[in-house]
Amino acid sequence: MTTLSSRLLTPKRCAVILLLALPIVSLLGLMTGPVFIPLTDMLSIILGGEGASSQEKLIIEIIRLPRVVLSLIVGALLATCGALLQGLFRNPLADPALIGVSAGASVGASTMIVFGVLLSANGILLGLTAISLGAFVGAIITSVIIFRLATSPQGTSVATMLLAGIAISALAGAATNTMSYLADNDMLRRISLWQMGNLQGASWESVGLCAFVAGMLGALIPRDTGALNAMLLGESEARHLGVNVEWLKRRLIIYSALGVAISVAVAGMIAFVGLMIPHLIRLLVGPDHRSLLPLSALAGAILLVAADALARVVIAPAELPVGVVTALLGAPFFLWLLVVQRGRS
Amino acid sequence: MLKIDSVGLTISAVPLLNNITIDCPRGSVTALMGPNGAGKTSLLKVISGEHSATQGSVEINGQRREQWTQADIAQFMAVLPQSSTLAFSFTAEEVVALGRTPYGTGLVRDGEIVDAALAKVDASYLAQRSFVQLSGGEKQRVQLARVLAQIWEHCEAVADTDGILLLDEPSAAFDMAHQLMLIDIVQQISAQGVTVVMVMHDLNLAAKCADQMVFMNCGECTAVGTVTELLTPELIKKVFSVDAEVIIHPLQGTPMVVV
Repeated sequence: MTTLSSRLLTPKRCAVILLLALPIVSLLGLMTGPVFIPLTDMLSIILGGEGASSQEKLIIEIIRLPRVVLSLIVGALLATCGALLQGLFRNPLADPALIGVSAGASVGASTMIVFGVLLSANGILLGLTAISLGAFVGAIITSVIIFRLATSPQGTSVATMLLAGIAISALAGAATNTMSYLADNDMLRRISLWQMGNLQGASWESVGLCAFVAGMLGALIPRDTGALNAMLLGESEARHLGVNVEWLKRRLIIYSALGVAISVAVAGMIAFVGLMIPHLIRLLVGPDHRSLLPLSALAGAILLVAADALARVVIAPAELPVGVVTALLGAPFFLWLLVVQRGRS
Repeated sequence: MLKIDSVGLTISAVPLLNNITIDCPRGSVTALMGPNGAGKTSLLKVISGEHSATQGSVEINGQRREQWTQADIAQFMAVLPQSSTLAFSFTAEEVVALGRTPYGTGLVRDGEIVDAALAKVDASYLAQRSFVQLSGGEKQRVQLARVLAQIWEHCEAVADTDGILLLDEPSAAFDMAHQLMLIDIVQQISAQGVTVVMVMHDLNLAAKCADQMVFMNCGECTAVGTVTELLTPELIKKVFSVDAEVIIHPLQGTPMVVV
């Protein structure tokens, strides 16, 4: 019997693989698109050398680089927040939809798409379009409502949160449907495309905003990984292990609502990453959050960059919504991993 | 050291505990016994801080329960719940290592403690197995190792404070050999100064290691005393509504309940 018989990889080995894959996938992401830019040209652009045309240089600097960097950050945020929520709910099937973030974002975005024309629809604030701003506000409002509903003087009930989340999501769904009903054909198309997620709107401003949130979460979350591990045993067990469970729950909900809301705001709804990436990493290296969270962030970043690159080339010059690709790419791989895992145990 | 002084507990207008007074000196073993719904687990939860007493007070190591922070108390008090669910596949070893959460003693020291704790509960061979795939008794042994790891320094009598261990039906899932192992562990650690309070259903098993027995019924303390004082046919009839004989163990000389 090997020492880690129930694990496919050690955290270290997994980190090495992901760290090797990350630059490769990112380079591929920069190279591919409607205009293919060969590796040599791209390296000379990045390294500041000669040889690439000015058109290629523009494509890389203004379009592809911010887009790839945004994909990296959004992928990392979605996967990390998914892992946080699964730990918090002690349920490997939890995803950001549970705390109402996605549903709220939908309402906000579709409201902006339908009524935003009344405001100046093209107004941009900190790299956020009116639609992203609507999504962000909608996401934060719903998660605050759900959190309030589940919190009583005795503390926050995770079970109530789950039920409230489902009910509020249904309510938000009705609101979104109403918006879709009021929308004209063009708006309707924009609403449904938004719901499939895309990274077309990437700009250095939106990268900066996401990087700020990601950096903040990256600094804060590592302090709670040990407590999050204890939480997996149960709330009272964690309490007996000295964890201040109430504050931990609050912090984790704020972190994940913030992380998901900003991702949804800049990239729309991207399915699969938050649910499957942490699950996948758990299958590979086990549920210890000290390795699970950083590895999920890496894997989420890689998946989203790869998915976005594919989204740009599959039906070029048109683009597939990246959410469609994440599911198409990730789901079969995930199923394969499940089968492998079942075969081993 | 643990002092429970006229503790009452009422939750949503339902009285669960009424006027309970128990004194558990350092290194003593107290067995809480009584029929289902007698309030044994509720009392344990008041001690562990999950419920706060609505009347009376609990004093732990010379200070009232509410005055300790959760983080401080976790450094000398460990709690083994009746059962716990874990949906994530930690290895048994990782589960035990979670017992070291309150400390920053470092991976090497914690690793030694985890190995020793697993060995103590006869579960070394389970170390690398996935916790979720273990049997009920194996899970409970691993959880026992986890709480022992949490107060390991106290079990070895090298800590500054007095350790307290609360066990809620620790032996329920154990086979006979492991029930005796549990008794052995409880005796060992109490000899090192750890105060043990445990909920038990098996009177004879409790009689083997308890310094003090508490009979509870309907949220009240019916009787507190030594094993010989409490194990009488009259009291057993009164508390458990069972006709029982009490005989003396032919070799150990301890009382034995036969039904």
